[in-house]
Amino acid sequence: MAENRIFDLAVSPHVGSSQSTKKVMWDVVIALMPALVAAFWFFGPRAVMLVAASVGAAVLTEWLCLKFMKRPVNFAFDGSAVVTGLLLAYNVPSGVPWWLPVLGSAFAIAVAKQAFGGLGHNIVNPALLGRAFLVASFPVLMTAGWIAPMEWKDGSRIDVQACGVPTAHLSESGELDAFSGATPLSALKQTFNWEGDPERSEEVRTMLFSKESMKNLFMGRIGGCIGETSVIMLLLGALYLVLRGVLELRLPLSYLGSVALFAWLFGGPGWFDGNPLFHLMAGGVILGGFFMVTDMVTTPVTKKGRIIFGIGAGLLTMVIRRWGGYPEGCSYSILLMNLGTPLIDRYTKPLSFGEVKKNG
Amino acid sequence: MSKVKSFAGGTHPPGNKSLSSGAAVVRLPAPEVVTVPLCQHLGAPSKPVVKPGDEVKRGSVIGEQNGFISLPTHSPVNGKVLRIENSPMPHMRSGPAVVIKTDSEEGGEVYEPVADWKNADISTIINRIKEAGICGMGGASFPTYVKLSPPKGVKIDTLIINGVECEPYLTADHRLMLERADDLITGMSIIARVLGVADPCIGIEVNKPDAIKLLQEKGARVVPLKVQYPQGAEKQLIDAVVGRTVPAGGLPLNIGVVVQNVGTCVAVTEAVCKGIPCMRRVVTVSGLGVNSPGNFDVCVGTPVSTLIEAAGGYKEDVERLISGGPMMGMAMFTDAAPVTKGTSGILAMSSEEVRDVQEGPCIRCGRCVDVCPLNLLPSVIATASEYAKWEDAEKSGALNCMACGTCSYVCPAGRYLVHHIKRAQNEVRALVRAREA
Repeated sequence: MAENRIFDLAVSPHVGSSQSTKKVMWDVVIALMPALVAAFWFFGPRAVMLVAASVGAAVLTEWLCLKFMKRPVNFAFDGSAVVTGLLLAYNVPSGVPWWLPVLGSAFAIAVAKQAFGGLGHNIVNPALLGRAFLVASFPVLMTAGWIAPMEWKDGSRIDVQACGVPTAHLSESGELDAFSGATPLSALKQTFNWEGDPERSEEVRTMLFSKESMKNLFMGRIGGCIGETSVIMLLLGALYLVLRGVLELRLPLSYLGSVALFAWLFGGPGWFDGNPLFHLMAGGVILGGFFMVTDMVTTPVTKKGRIIFGIGAGLLTMVIRRWGGYPEGCSYSILLMNLGTPLIDRYTKPLSFGEVKKNG
Repeated sequence: MSKVKSFAGGTHPPGNKSLSSGAAVVRLPAPEVVTVPLCQHLGAPSKPVVKPGDEVKRGSVIGEQNGFISLPTHSPVNGKVLRIENSPMPHMRSGPAVVIKTDSEEGGEVYEPVADWKNADISTIINRIKEAGICGMGGASFPTYVKLSPPKGVKIDTLIINGVECEPYLTADHRLMLERADDLITGMSIIARVLGVADPCIGIEVNKPDAIKLLQEKGARVVPLKVQYPQGAEKQLIDAVVGRTVPAGGLPLNIGVVVQNVGTCVAVTEAVCKGIPCMRRVVTVSGLGVNSPGNFDVCVGTPVSTLIEAAGGYKEDVERLISGGPMMGMAMFTDAAPVTKGTSGILAMSSEEVRDVQEGPCIRCGRCVDVCPLNLLPSVIATASEYAKWEDAEKSGALNCMACGTCSYVCPAGRYLVHHIKRAQNEVRALVRAREA
């Protein structure tokens, strides 16, 4: 009888989809590129340099940490550190010194990610914890480091204030000359503080919600963090992720829906008169909604849990915007919900097929 | 065609069925030596009743039924028993088998056909299905007569014939539906009569339009199903066809349903109408590692190497040999193992087809959760298993997993989720036994 061949054994299934963690991460990197183009256009080459520095610092820190812990260093190139570096840079103001995002990235990777066990084990979104670290350590730079869009190109011909309201509108109402809000959200926040002057508040809000101001918000011609301003470019990236099948829509849709609902409910001076569209497009909601609320590691795995996470983050975002100490609440809302993820997962564990609810 | 039905969850791996779906079934003669396993069915192995040197006839019992969940085993050939040995098996590492030197494959001592099955005693038919050694031919190999003898008080009102064949590559059931349609429908009618079911149906995925059309033309009730893995899993099939949910830990008969594979139906026809016990089956031989994939009707006990030869032999690049489909099949370490009643396919897979990845850390993307047809949290159970937290695995429903492999298939981190969960199942079962003791 002929000699029988011997084969290696393996566990089933013997075939697999072509997806890999690396592909997922690089898809996210690609999806974040349109926003980088917008950052270059509005805030100049310096913004791109800040992003590059942040990404470089993130990858280098990851590599050093892995080396130090005697782990395989090729994990540093799986794209996840690049995503963290990008997101951190996208979350700092456009006019900060170069070492700020570098420091933030290093902190994000070393403390928020590697100290917890590396990829897949971190409890909160590394980029957002890095940002929180920067806000706490360098509050002035992080809340006043804005530059107006297009300022880099021709400082003398700025036709848009950082807050997105065209200069022409401002000069029309002479009294408003003194009005200065660095970002649309901080301008809006100020209107809530002029309680003795409702007329002026109303006037500013009308300008912020004007058609032209909204157009600037959509395109990204406003002051803000490097990668968060251009709604259209971020949506383009999100579309790419949807087409690639990387984006799970429960998280972003529940988050954006929740922001819109609560913006309408209490985002204005009174009840039921907020402007949902403004709140969706201003600040970091689009960036957060499609790229940070959707961070797989730090959000629930259950289907119901993802929806709860999105709604909770949306509520917290609006609470902070309306009543909190900061004009923007996107990043803190996500960080807070990240902490609740294990609990959400535990209480939303689905009944398995054919299982009957106990005590039901 | 009525609306295409499906279940919730699942995924759609490339079918790769065109490799062999066009190849008509080729009947191979019995090889010179057959190694007939005594453990082809689920349950207790048959007890050997022959010894080395004995002459056996085709159809004679060489191993008798050994308990309720057990079946007899027949010799597929006329010949002489060489030895009884522990042989490598396609579905387990090794098991007892009777090695027979073949003289011929004619005549022998098969059973008398059941004269008029439409009017015969139900018990006569069930007894025939039992003594013919018929088990589920879809892969699980559960003794068929047990499924046809529901406990007292259980009323079966639905019979679904499983012609889904959702495993990629496999085309044996597809060919059977095309080439043995009449025998299939007869077998379905016999089983329906035994169970007292009025209107049985056949569930078929819409990627087999020729089979759907043919069976409809012959008057069978066909339920077209979406091409989605694992559409052919018993619970998912029942959910898709009649919208009933088998309770966790329960059986289809708890909700009045019996599912039988198309191959089983044909075997029932053979046993009841011709008196021929279950000794042959159709096996798909496929994969990019063989030269000419096809479907072969072979004796049980035929070595896998003979099938590979019939399919034109190995190509240069063969990374893995699999018994069954690529999603749930078992890797075999040798092609010396014999075909059993449950061997639906033999795949010789090349290195480009086989997924061979380094297992990475879970990134909690939740894709396994999205696709799990049993609504489990595969990543959570697998992680509990990795940390040897068996109580946690049990609480997460580890025992409900049927190891369909959908989660591992979609996992971007390349985790061996099914492997971890199966391991947890073994440990949890031991835990439960210890608790009950």
